[in-house]
Amino acid sequence: MAAKTDPPAGPSSGGGRALFLLAPALIVIGVLFGGGLVAGAWQSLAPLLPGARLSLDAYRAILGDPGFPGALGFSLYIALTATMLSAVMATAVALLLRQTFPGRRLISFLVQVNLTIPHAVGAIGILYLLSQSGTLSRLAHGAGLLDRPAQFPELVYDRHAIGIILHYMWKEVPFITLILLSQMQTIGQDYAAAARSLGAGRWQCFRHVTLPLIAPALAAASAIVFAFCFGAYEVPLLLGPNSPAALPVLAYRVSVDADLATRPQAMAMAMVIAALSAALVLIALRAARRAMGRA
Amino acid sequence: MSLVSRLALCAATLAATQGWADTPDGAALIGQDWEKIVEAARGGEVNFFLWGGSDTINRYVTEDLGGILLRDYGITLNRVGVTDTAEAVNLVLGETAAGVTDAGSVDLIWINGENFRTMRQGDLVWCGYTETLPNNALVNWNNPSIANDFGVPVDGCEVPWNRAQFAFAHDSATLAEPPRDMAALIDWIKANPGQFTYAAPPDFNGSVFVRHVFYHAAGGADALLGPFDQATFDAVAPKAWAILNDLEPYLWRKGETYPNTITQLNNLFANGEVALTFNYDASQSGAAVDAGQYPATVRSYGLTDGTIGNTNYTVIPANSPNKAAAMVLQNLTLSGDAQLRKADPAVWGAAPVIELDRLTPDLQSAFAALPAHPSVVQPAELGAAALPELQAEWISAIEKGWAENVGR
Repeated sequence: MAAKTDPPAGPSSGGGRALFLLAPALIVIGVLFGGGLVAGAWQSLAPLLPGARLSLDAYRAILGDPGFPGALGFSLYIALTATMLSAVMATAVALLLRQTFPGRRLISFLVQVNLTIPHAVGAIGILYLLSQSGTLSRLAHGAGLLDRPAQFPELVYDRHAIGIILHYMWKEVPFITLILLSQMQTIGQDYAAAARSLGAGRWQCFRHVTLPLIAPALAAASAIVFAFCFGAYEVPLLLGPNSPAALPVLAYRVSVDADLATRPQAMAMAMVIAALSAALVLIALRAARRAMGRA
Repeated sequence: MSLVSRLALCAATLAATQGWADTPDGAALIGQDWEKIVEAARGGEVNFFLWGGSDTINRYVTEDLGGILLRDYGITLNRVGVTDTAEAVNLVLGETAAGVTDAGSVDLIWINGENFRTMRQGDLVWCGYTETLPNNALVNWNNPSIANDFGVPVDGCEVPWNRAQFAFAHDSATLAEPPRDMAALIDWIKANPGQFTYAAPPDFNGSVFVRHVFYHAAGGADALLGPFDQATFDAVAPKAWAILNDLEPYLWRKGETYPNTITQLNNLFANGEVALTFNYDASQSGAAVDAGQYPATVRSYGLTDGTIGNTNYTVIPANSPNKAAAMVLQNLTLSGDAQLRKADPAVWGAAPVIELDRLTPDLQSAFAALPAHPSVVQPAELGAAALPELQAEWISAIEKGWAENVGR
């Protein structure tokens, strides 16, 4: 009976139409991203030199490369630390920004303003701020806190990747916050208010009501952040130590080696990065779905 | 429907505009009348890939060379900056492997040494055309350091562009007397902990610094010249790694890490974190002073036991679709006027690669009258103690050995 009032495009043709409208985006993703992935996988298996044949030699070679485990561990350490710290901090910021207090709009704006700044620019900013010849070091020296600027703690080019992690937090806390705030907007205050009126404390309310409700969004945003931090090249290049190198930096070094025979190894490393990112994103999303099911 | 037709129209327009100055067929150009080549190139474009880390060089290429190309030949020069020349080589390699043999995206690469060897190894270079360039007459191909690129014969596959020689730099205001030979440098590093470091190979400049240490360990370059020899390498390498590992505790950050790029090292020097820096192009310290990055009291200098020098070139990939335009650009880079402009310290300050006595008297006196930059060591003084480059296999082995034994 509602059929008469349906718009001309019914549900089924609406699906076709949606597909048609999505086609440009899907083609771009499929051809550029999927094509790049397939080409990379192919090049990791097939050396470009004449007379070579398909093999897993490149994967065997990187497993035997003494630099590879260190680089993999370093990248995992950076991505996990940066993601976890960002997720915790973003949750706190989102909870605070949901309150009403004077200056909230300004603070919300300030928290999100750096979303538009490119990573490379942010990383160079961190370098100017935190290096041993950077602004903070010079201020500390000028204030008489340090005898020489070089006594400033090693926050960039360091093996603990402090500069890299700080950069990622600076950049990703606003991103996760933004996603959490929009999720909280959708959920509304009712559940939390009901819990509080039934006698739940602040922590109990957060732990048993708010957190399960925002967990899917938090997991999804964290998965994106992890995949980015794990696969990014420019930030560890600009702020990281020479050794251990982050995995993408090592892959680049291998890809520009003068010996053409090493090209498949660089592609193999890129494939490892892609596979691990994809696996962790899938795990995070599945966990989020389960959390949502429970809540 | 309309989308499809619009796409088809786009493709057709693209093909048409790309098509009319296409000259992928190299064989038809070799030995051809130069006027005809210029006509074939007219109105086209040339994609020039080169290391993009120097503002002065970028400006010279875009404004000087690009300006003349557009004005005199109607050719558009697209300068594409890369961090590492191997990126351009990889592009050509990838395209060729994908079957793109006459419509590649790279028409000219600034290149030498191991990247040139890589391109020849992969058969990615267009060869045999250099005699066709009129300004080839200005090049002295009897000079072995021009006819050989890091020990590999050029064989008409590249056109020389510059001479370069490695030089250190110090700030005369804070370090009046820098160490002037390799042994003195090693002692100085130990006496001044934290004041020295070098960019980690495979950075081009860091790699050549490590080669200086290698020469020092070998007691000179002579034993290392010629094709790669595993026995010699095995005899020299442990000594070189011992010297470098010995130095580590006295380096910046106690050698726990090294700058990843020469740009990082130069920034450490500019900020006073280290007292010495270096560059394969001595004129770069002058450019950094003019840019306000280094204080005016910075001076570049050579070593009494010599620094390594090379010739660098431009190369046309075999799959370049704009070979005629690339040839016109190469011919332009060799002209007396372009080499003179490039030699001006205010423009770039790169040493000429052509024989000056083959130029007109006017140009010769213009070269003689070029001002000297106070921060840049005189090419003649630097050239008095010049060391040859090694063949590419040596360089690969040294870079690999450094990563395994020193830079772990």
